[in-house]
Formats: sequence, structure tokens, C-alpha cells
Amino acid sequence: MKKIHAQCKKELNQFVRDKLTLALAFVLPVLSLMLFGFGVRLEIKHIPLVVQNFDQGSLSLDLADRLFNNAQFDPHLWPGGHPLENALDKGFAKAGVIIPPDFSRNIRQGHQAYFQVFVDATDVNNARVMKNGIIGTTDGFLKANNLISSKTMIEPNIRLWFNPGRKESLYVVPGALGVVLWIFPSLLAALAMVRENESGTILQVYASSITAVEFLGGKILAYLIIAGVMAAFLILNANIFFNIGFVGDPTPYLFGVTFFLFSAVSFGTMIGTRTNSQSAAVQAVATGGFTTSLLLSGYLYPIRNIVFPLSYLTILVPARWFVQLSRDSFVRGGGWSYDWYLPIFLALGGLFFFRIAHKNLSTMQLKV
Amino acid sequence: MKLLLLLENLVGARLYALMTKETRQILRDKQQLFLLMFPPIIQICLYGFALSPDVQDLRLAVTDECNSNKSRELTSALVENRVFKIGKSPLSLADMMKGIERGYIDAGVVIPPDFDRKISQGGPASIQLIIDAVDANTAGITQGYATQMISSYGRKLASTKRVRPVQSEVTYVYNPGLISAWFFVPGVLGLVLTLTGSLVSSVTLVKEKDSGTLEQLLMTPADSWEILIAKIVPLLVMLNGTVLLALCVGKVMFNLPFRGNFFLYMFVSNIYIFVVISIGIILATISKNQRQAILTSFFFNLPLIQLSGALSPIESMPDFFRMLSYLNPLRYYIQCIRNILLKGVGFDVMWKDISVLAVLAVVLLLSSAARFRKQLG
Repeated sequence: MKKIHAQCKKELNQFVRDKLTLALAFVLPVLSLMLFGFGVRLEIKHIPLVVQNFDQGSLSLDLADRLFNNAQFDPHLWPGGHPLENALDKGFAKAGVIIPPDFSRNIRQGHQAYFQVFVDATDVNNARVMKNGIIGTTDGFLKANNLISSKTMIEPNIRLWFNPGRKESLYVVPGALGVVLWIFPSLLAALAMVRENESGTILQVYASSITAVEFLGGKILAYLIIAGVMAAFLILNANIFFNIGFVGDPTPYLFGVTFFLFSAVSFGTMIGTRTNSQSAAVQAVATGGFTTSLLLSGYLYPIRNIVFPLSYLTILVPARWFVQLSRDSFVRGGGWSYDWYLPIFLALGGLFFFRIAHKNLSTMQLKV
Repeated sequence: MKLLLLLENLVGARLYALMTKETRQILRDKQQLFLLMFPPIIQICLYGFALSPDVQDLRLAVTDECNSNKSRELTSALVENRVFKIGKSPLSLADMMKGIERGYIDAGVVIPPDFDRKISQGGPASIQLIIDAVDANTAGITQGYATQMISSYGRKLASTKRVRPVQSEVTYVYNPGLISAWFFVPGVLGLVLTLTGSLVSSVTLVKEKDSGTLEQLLMTPADSWEILIAKIVPLLVMLNGTVLLALCVGKVMFNLPFRGNFFLYMFVSNIYIFVVISIGIILATISKNQRQAILTSFFFNLPLIQLSGALSPIESMPDFFRMLSYLNPLRYYIQCIRNILLKGVGFDVMWKDISVLAVLAVVLLLSSAARFRKQLG
């Protein structure tokens, strides 16, 4: 116990000594949270749209007006003559509508009328949204001109649960907490471990009477303290800037976050024991930690969209469980009866990484 | 004349020697080399396979208290086009509510007992639709789809005329199959180049500072710009390798199209590689040791990536961040390679983006080199 304490104190001293690192270690997570929270929006607005109207009938003008008035679209005029493909090719517009010359006439005569829509599908999600927007606008147009019955037969009463205003920050920020609290603690822990390898001070550790468990325990405890302060600071910031706070019982989250940070720090330490240079350690943490926590945690897009073999891999990603816990605690209002298993999973993950780190170091001998 | 030639040779030989030293240093570290090649492949595959914004197969539960012909038809109209699928049915109302609460169910429909009667009376019959809105964006799209399907079914009930008098024929251009990987892979390429490039270049420079060998290098007759060029050139070659590798992975794994000009692609990529290396040099000049260089690289790279449109579209960002993204070289690079790969457009369309990128590259390179040389002196 004494040795763990001493090792932990040494790590904290070393950490506090480097002022730039200290500042970055606290500024960076907050900066990332702000970027994720303010910068990431999935719902699209202001789509540049061009309409090429070859028909000057009142119906076609009405349709064009309605498209332009849709808040999703930013209207641009595209004078006739130029092929519409140019507007999309040059990135001038994301969607182009062509209304043919016989549009109004066909409607008035009771024939089927068509208009053509080109949607830039480079960004797949937006392409779908644009299509829906155009279909919706067409419906409104038809109803307003009495072309289809405006009588509603079925009236859906829609309730949006948990987030009635559809505030995206309520979705993004709790998820981002999971990503940020995985990346930075594991990165700092990995750097602290690999530095001993790189500078050779690990040999002094080998030569001393400290055991692998004590050495790792001290290191992990130190970074767990740092990560804990970081987490508290981040949650405070999330509360101030995004108005996010606990809904319901916060205790599952408090246990969960402790075990999650333990997993993150152990993961970093494990990487640190395996790599032999700082840049290699960072690359490994970035690939093994950053990428997986960003992609396989369901932070941005739902997990069920992940394709088959990878979807099972998400079970092994602690960030996935933590993101779920975060959303349950901050948005849904979970409580022990719903989320009892999440802290347990996270603790198991931490023990797993600790075990591997311990195995790498157990002999406390120079590898030949 | 002869003297000049001799001098040139000497410079050449010195530069060559320095470059060999750098290349050997990079090649010697097998772990480092592996980590330069392996992450790009993994990242591109992961992003391509794991990031999918599709709204489909949403878990729908229906509590049908009417249980008539029409109410069942409504249910089947909702699941017609793969947006919704019905899980374990039938559920009791309480079970459904619990499911939505816990997140097992994304949307629930309650059809009341008087549904049929109201419709025979000429409507409107009201139904309840509950959507789990924790994921705000998906909830919005779900709401749109559901309303559309319900109202189109309602129209079917109202009139016998099946065809709508106006049809919009929507054509998806550039990516008709709506494969989301085609959107993400070019973005990830930019992301990988930024992360790997800036990190490796800053670390190779700081390492010499860290271990004190930089002073030894300065004592040699080599000029500071020779030292710099010798460091840059091997990196340039390696990062070109990364670009090609990423392209191959995209082609093999996702059948990514290449519709534009290959040389233009390489040209733009090389401009961006210079940007990345300059960022690395700047990082190296402001940090004292490797740990600082690594952390500051995150400090620069995170905003660079987040505001580039690599993962989430620029159009949906808040105005302030959208404006900020105009200063971001990665934004221009990703836009250019998406244009080249998917749209197949050429220099005539992209000259603005390319010139902005080139100007940013020159400014960054000159200022970073000046900073580095000043520090050496």
C-alpha cells in the first residue's frame, strides 16, 4: 500500500511539473467537448437549391415558390439555357429541380404531370433528407391547389419522448463525454508509461523492490485521480454550456464513470507497456482507442447501423456501454433497475486491460 | 564555373547523405513503420463499415386496440419500405411504454378502438405515435417518414384515385446507390493524412531536440534549410504512399469510384501533404518534448477535423463554425478529393478551392520553416 502511494505521488508530481502538458490536459478535453457539442449537428438546413422553370404557368410558379419557402432550402436562381448538371458539378447547388414546359397544362387537363429532381448524393444522408423535403413540399402544393383531397383521414398525434424539442446537443454531448473521457485519460496514461521505456528509467524500476502490481497500481491510481478531476470539470462544463444535468438517480453514473476511467487508464497503460516510443504509443492509442470509441460506441450514429462482424465487436468497446449509461443518466433517466449491468461491464473491461498490462510487466525483467 | 559545379555536387552529396540518414531512421523503427501503414487501412475500413447514417430498420411496436382490417393495413403500410420493422408483437401497452423508456423500441403506435368507426364516418381518426427522441436527428427523420406514410395511407382510404396528379422523379446523382462509405472514405483519407502526417513530422523534429542530437547536426557544415529539406522529403514520399494505399483500400473494400483525373488527385494531395508537414513543423517549434508535441497536435487536429466536413456535413454546422471552416485547409482538401473521386470534375471547377489550399500551404510552409530556422540559429 505504501509503495502504491509513493508511486502515485511520484506520478502526480511528474505530471504537475510540466506546465504546458498540465494546461493542455485540461484545456484539450473541454475544447473537444465544445467542438463536439457546438460543431456537430446532423440535422441539415440551408441546402442550396436551384429551380429551372421552363413553364411559366401559375401552378409551376406556385410549386417553385413553395420549394423556395421551405426552410430546409436556400433558393438560388438558375437561368434557363444552362444545363442544370453544371450547377451540381460546380457545387453551386445540392439539388436541382426542372419543371418542364407542359407542367401546368398537364395538370389542368387532368393528365399526369412530372417534374425532375436531381439530388447530389455525395452526402448520402442529406440526399435522403432532400428527397423527403421535396416530396413533402409537393404534397403541400397538391393540397393547396385542391389537386388531392386535403381532408385528413388519419391524424397522427406525435409525441417525442425525452427530448421533445429535438435539441441535438442533448444527443451529442452525453455521447461526446464518452469519447473524450476515453481518449485523453488513456493517452496521458500511455505516454506516462512509455516514457519510462523510452528514457530507460524502467530499468531502475525493475531493479527496485517494487512489484508489478504496486508499480502499475500507483501509476493507474495517479492517472485515475487526474481523469476524475477531468471528468468532474467536463460534466460541470456540459452543465454550464449545454444545460445538461442528471435526470433521476446519479449513483449508477458515478460508479460507471469511475470504472470507465479505470478502463481508459488501464488501456493506456497496457499500450504503454507494449510500445517502445511515444509516437508509436500515440498511434496505437489513436487507432485502438480514438477510432473505436468514436466509431463503435454509437456516439454519432446508431449502433444497429454497424455492419455484421463489426457490430459484435462493439460489445468489447467500453465506450459503447458508457455512452449508453451517459444518455440514460442525462437524458432518459435510468436508475439502477435499468442500468445495473453497465457499471459491471465497465469494471470487467478495466480488469481485463489491467490483467494484460500486468502480464506484460509481470517478470519485471528486461525483454531480450 | 568548375568551382560552382563542385559546390553544387557537394551540396547535393550532403543533402543526399542527410536524406539517407532520415530515411534509415524511419525505416529502422519497425514498429513506427507498421504504425504508419496499418492505422490508415484500419481506419478507412472501420469508418466505411461502421459509420452509417441510414435511418432504417427502426424498431416499431404497434398496440392495435382496434384490430380491424384497416388498422392492420395501416400497420403494414408503415413497415412497407424498411424504415420500420416490427419486433416481437403483439405487446401490451404497458410493455410498449417500458420498451420505449428503456430504448428497446424506437417508435410506438397506438391505434385506438374507435379507429375503424371514425374512418367509416369519414374521419379523421386519430392515432398516437410515440418516438424515442434521444437521438434528435433520427427522431426528426423518423417523424417525417411516419407522417408521410400515414398520410399517404389516409389518402388511399379517402379516394379511389391511386395516382397522384404530380409526380416528382428524383434522381440521385454521383452516388445513385446511396452508399455511405463513398461519402466517408474521402473524408477519412484527409483525416488520416492530417493525424499521421502532422504527428510523424513533429515527432521526428522534436526527437532530435529531445535527445540533443540537433546540436550535433548544427555543428556539421549542413545548412539549416538542408536539415529541414532532408527531413521533409522522406516524409513526403511516405505520405504519398499513404494516399495511394488509402485509394486502393477504398477501391477494394468499398468499390469507391475514381471518376476524375489521377494526376490532379495526386497534385492536390501533395499540396495538402505540405500543409500537414508545415503543421508538424510548427508543432515541433512550439513544444519542448515529445509529449508536448503530441498533445499540441491534438489541440490543432481536433478542430481541424471537426470543422472539415469529413464526418458530419458542413451545411448543418452552426453559422459561426461554418464561417470558421473557411479557414480550414482540410475542408478544401476533402472537398477537392470528393469532387475528383465522386463527381469527376476537373481543375476548371475546383480552381478556387485548389488555389486557396495552395495559398494556405505556401503561407504555412514559409512561416513554419522560418520559425524552425530561427530556432536553430
